[in-house]
Amino acid sequence: MADSYDFIIVGGGPAGYSAAVYAARFRLKTLVIARNPGGTIINTHIVENWPGEKSLSGFELMEKLKAHVGHNGVEILMDSVDDISNEKGAKGFTLKTEGGKTYRAKAILIATGSAHRRLGVPGEKELAGRGVSYCATCDAAFFRDKVVAVVGGSDSAAKEALLLTEYAKKVFIIYRKEKIRAEPINAERVDKNKKIEIISNTKVTKVNGEMKLESVTLDKAYKGSKEFPLDGLFIEIGYVPQSKLAEAHGVKLNKKGEIITGKHGCTNVDGVFAAGDVTDMGFKQAITAAAQGASAAMSAYEYIGGKKIEC
Amino acid sequence: MAVTIYSTPTCPYCKLAKEFLDKNKVNYKNVDVSKDPKAAQEMIDKSGQMGVPVIDIGGKPIIGFDQKALKAALKDKK
Repeated sequence: MADSYDFIIVGGGPAGYSAAVYAARFRLKTLVIARNPGGTIINTHIVENWPGEKSLSGFELMEKLKAHVGHNGVEILMDSVDDISNEKGAKGFTLKTEGGKTYRAKAILIATGSAHRRLGVPGEKELAGRGVSYCATCDAAFFRDKVVAVVGGSDSAAKEALLLTEYAKKVFIIYRKEKIRAEPINAERVDKNKKIEIISNTKVTKVNGEMKLESVTLDKAYKGSKEFPLDGLFIEIGYVPQSKLAEAHGVKLNKKGEIITGKHGCTNVDGVFAAGDVTDMGFKQAITAAAQGASAAMSAYEYIGGKKIEC
Repeated sequence: MAVTIYSTPTCPYCKLAKEFLDKNKVNYKNVDVSKDPKAAQEMIDKSGQMGVPVIDIGGKPIIGFDQKALKAALKDKK
């Protein structure tokens, strides 16, 4: 017999954890299943825009949220949901996990977030972990007094570059467009930092090295050469929504692969709700994901209670 | 069976990996490679990796917080 719950939340980032707190308080029997408890925000070195917390690491923030979920009596299972199904005519869902467990739920929340986008150039895969990294927070310490580059122009890219200046002697930001689009506060920090140099309107087309990263090839010459020697390359070019599981269950996605989500967290499938980075919400932030999670938990509560919900 | 985790204090997946080992009641030695360049080099030599965590289970390095690989390696050694 599969364990039965009212509400199963797939994903353990800000959206999932916030939904869990609300669901528990609505007295729904709730379970969180998370492949990576904490979500991608745990890779963020410093979070300075979560109201009530002036500055803390992404990991610390998620430890606090996790403790809050635990305080409300909800279990967080470290596992991955492989399949969602429902029998015809029967209400509710069956979830199968990679760990071989089966669970039943009356309603589910997809809060599976997003994963790092790869550059998709030759040599990237081979040299991952050998100078190519997707997490400055993890690997910055290996590049003390080295020359490194961050690819990307987002706020995350700017933050990675700033963190890397604490270790590396020189940090380049290689961006395909003219001007980086970091939060103005972080863009100002980048401008003021003497270790950082921005190479704009330039793409990385190849990653070179035998046993470890030695250089990258640029599509445009920098100081007379397309060969650009580097010790470390940090790739921060955005995220890909993790929506395959939902899609396989008939949940509609937009062109970007994000779940099309109503304002209260509904998807096109009855009983399946969505929140956080996996959805088509434009402003992808921890705080907006948490808000979506709360809202979706409310909708799920009403749905389970048999109320007609509008969203 | 000797288990060593090469980590840095800021690395979130190192923390998750340690939580995982704790949960599975595995005794391990933690090596902070951000403070110990010699150990960092030893880790790179062993695994070819310049990223943490690397978890050495009885001489076999596991790269990253790979739960499947960890479970399998721990099972093999039991």
